[in-house]
Amino acid sequence: MNRVYLLLPIVLMVNDESLSQKIGYFCSYTPLEILHAAGLTPVRIIGHSNPIQEGDNYMHPNLCQYVRSCIDAAVLGQYEDLEGLVFVNSCDAMRRLADVWNQYVPVNFSTMLDLPMGEANIDVEYYREELAKLKQSLEQHFVVTITDQMLQQAGEMYNAARDLYHQVNALRRETPPRIRGQEMMQLANRFFTQRPEDWIEETKTLLQEKDTTDGVPEESQISETRPRILLAGSPIHDPEIVGFIEECGFAVVGEELCSGERFFDLNVPIEPDMLATLSKTYLTKPPCARMMNIEKRVERIVHQAQDLNAAGIIHHTLKFCDTYAYDLPVLQDLLADADLKILSIEGDCTLGSMSQLRTRLEAFREVLESS
Amino acid sequence: MLQTYFADLEAGLRKKLDERVTARRKFIYEIARIGGRMFDPEWGSAWTTVFVPFEILNAMHISGNFIEFVGAMLAGAGLSRRYFERAEAAGYSMDGCSYHRTIMGAVMEGLLPEPDVLIGASCPCNGGLKALTRVGEYYHKPAFIINVPYENTPKSVDYLVKQYENLVAFITAQTGRELDEDRLRASIQLNNESRDYIIEALDLCKNVPSPASSNDWKNFIISALLAGTQEGIEVAKVYRDEFQYKVDHGIPGIPNEKHRLLWIQNRIQFKTDLIELVEKNFGANVVIDELNHIWWDPMDDKDPLRSLAIRQITHPLVGPVKRRLDILAQLAREFKVDGAINPAHTGCRQSSGARAMFKETMQAVGVPLIHLDVDCVDERNYSEGQVLGRLEAFMEML
Repeated sequence: MNRVYLLLPIVLMVNDESLSQKIGYFCSYTPLEILHAAGLTPVRIIGHSNPIQEGDNYMHPNLCQYVRSCIDAAVLGQYEDLEGLVFVNSCDAMRRLADVWNQYVPVNFSTMLDLPMGEANIDVEYYREELAKLKQSLEQHFVVTITDQMLQQAGEMYNAARDLYHQVNALRRETPPRIRGQEMMQLANRFFTQRPEDWIEETKTLLQEKDTTDGVPEESQISETRPRILLAGSPIHDPEIVGFIEECGFAVVGEELCSGERFFDLNVPIEPDMLATLSKTYLTKPPCARMMNIEKRVERIVHQAQDLNAAGIIHHTLKFCDTYAYDLPVLQDLLADADLKILSIEGDCTLGSMSQLRTRLEAFREVLESS
Repeated sequence: MLQTYFADLEAGLRKKLDERVTARRKFIYEIARIGGRMFDPEWGSAWTTVFVPFEILNAMHISGNFIEFVGAMLAGAGLSRRYFERAEAAGYSMDGCSYHRTIMGAVMEGLLPEPDVLIGASCPCNGGLKALTRVGEYYHKPAFIINVPYENTPKSVDYLVKQYENLVAFITAQTGRELDEDRLRASIQLNNESRDYIIEALDLCKNVPSPASSNDWKNFIISALLAGTQEGIEVAKVYRDEFQYKVDHGIPGIPNEKHRLLWIQNRIQFKTDLIELVEKNFGANVVIDELNHIWWDPMDDKDPLRSLAIRQITHPLVGPVKRRLDILAQLAREFKVDGAINPAHTGCRQSSGARAMFKETMQAVGVPLIHLDVDCVDERNYSEGQVLGRLEAFMEML
């Protein structure tokens, strides 16, 4: 029963009839501007954080919970109202997820964006070509025309949305934070599933409410004494996991997660050749571990931690996620060199696995409190 | 230690080759020589991931070694445990690929000489690229990353060609060695020649019984290190000649071949009698390894970089898995196999992610498949009895 209960929020949002035609995407390097300009509502596929029911019949248990839960939800019919899917060639597991999904789950439109690692001109030009192919295939399949003007309008709207996210996010950077990390993840999740126009309106209302609230909401149980934490690493999509970390006595004041703050860390210049602009902007945004630029990633984490006045970093590695796991030892050394305290946790992103970490989390909190 | 190991291996095999030339001896001999070049100041040295254009390196007088080769070699010599445990102690997860942990541990332990240059490709896996980068960081050297495009289109080939041009410039900057265009063209010609011999040798193994034993083609993927060299031709020719002779004279690779097997991906690298027992007890012979398949067309020596790019983009492990599945089905049919074995190497996401599709593909061509779920390098959790029991049940089903 618990399993069904936890899946419901995702399913209900995806099945919201008020959305326009929905197209699923996975990776934060997917330019939503192109999908929106095609008249579609991008819906991020975030899987779930419950035990796998059917997915292990399709993908091996030595793949991460994220891809296994995605295929699990898909074969159980929870994404059947999507008009199509945009995969990104982001890791070995994602490539296989695309193969398996296309084989076993009916889908009208499916495409793969080949994301290069690198920011050189040839990489930007190549990714521009990939975006041009995406645009063309959307135009053909959905019988639409996507103009630069439409891309510019979409760019402006998404820039506004990302700016709005950061306005709300600024509230948790305050001392004490005026919004919890769990709420910020809920906000991000709503962005992943709603029409952006609706999300902007709702978030403006949320911001107004927060602005008129004097001081720290009592129910948030956040106090100045809680260690301020930057949450980094593999994606975490379940707000309850962030809530659990906060329950352990931390204030999660920022994230280096593609499922949270890092997702919103880009601003698309509005220029005549929008595909070129989108290519460059997405390729040069703060990188995830897959992009093979650990120096830039560490620089960003260090800067962010200092900017947040964070007492420490909790780095989450999703079990079987090679891209983050292979970075971890070096990342820990580099962060230690920058005098940052780090707790590395590994799990399969389920609440069950996280709750086993309570003792370690509480011990880390005590270390931070005593230093 | 490693220098001595390769020197001893080379000397021992030289002696055996003087007594009698066999394909397997010749192959391992040349690989031992490649290994020894890591320590030869006449040669530049490169650490790479498994699928990079070694012809470019050979044309620049740089001896390439892919990191999985080191993992396999150390496991085969019974030496890998110390190194992957070293990597684990440094924080590298046991969930990752043990080939990669072995090389990282070996570098940390100072087993390997410092490479002049590091080159990785995005195919076949993220782990290999990450491990190579970690090795580079250890030596404070950057790794050049080749983004292998997902699809084969003229523009994606252009992109890869530009990357190769940048790769050549990178190698020159790192090593001071220039690319000799004539030598590269010659390297392409040599590759074409060895390719023909390998295809002939593999075709001979389509005979029933096969002239090769399970061991003859084991790890032949390492011959990629000989790509575009005279030694590569010699090895391929010896294989062709040996199997031609055996076919002509009715000499089977193993006595009483009853079952013909397709081996998917890499072999088990640590010492085990598994294959010998299966050969002996069931007359089962691995007649084709997936990774030994020649998938590319002859290359154009007038346009070497483009030819190499097309070869790399069309690799069966690049792009959607269907490309690979089609090759597996083709090999199963052409080699008349009765069964397929996938060791399902622990930690290999790109392969294990499609295991259900492997099974369906094999079923569609009437070939049963068994996934062994073995870590091919790390034998700590390996239970020979258990794996053998499963294989025996599989063989009885055949």
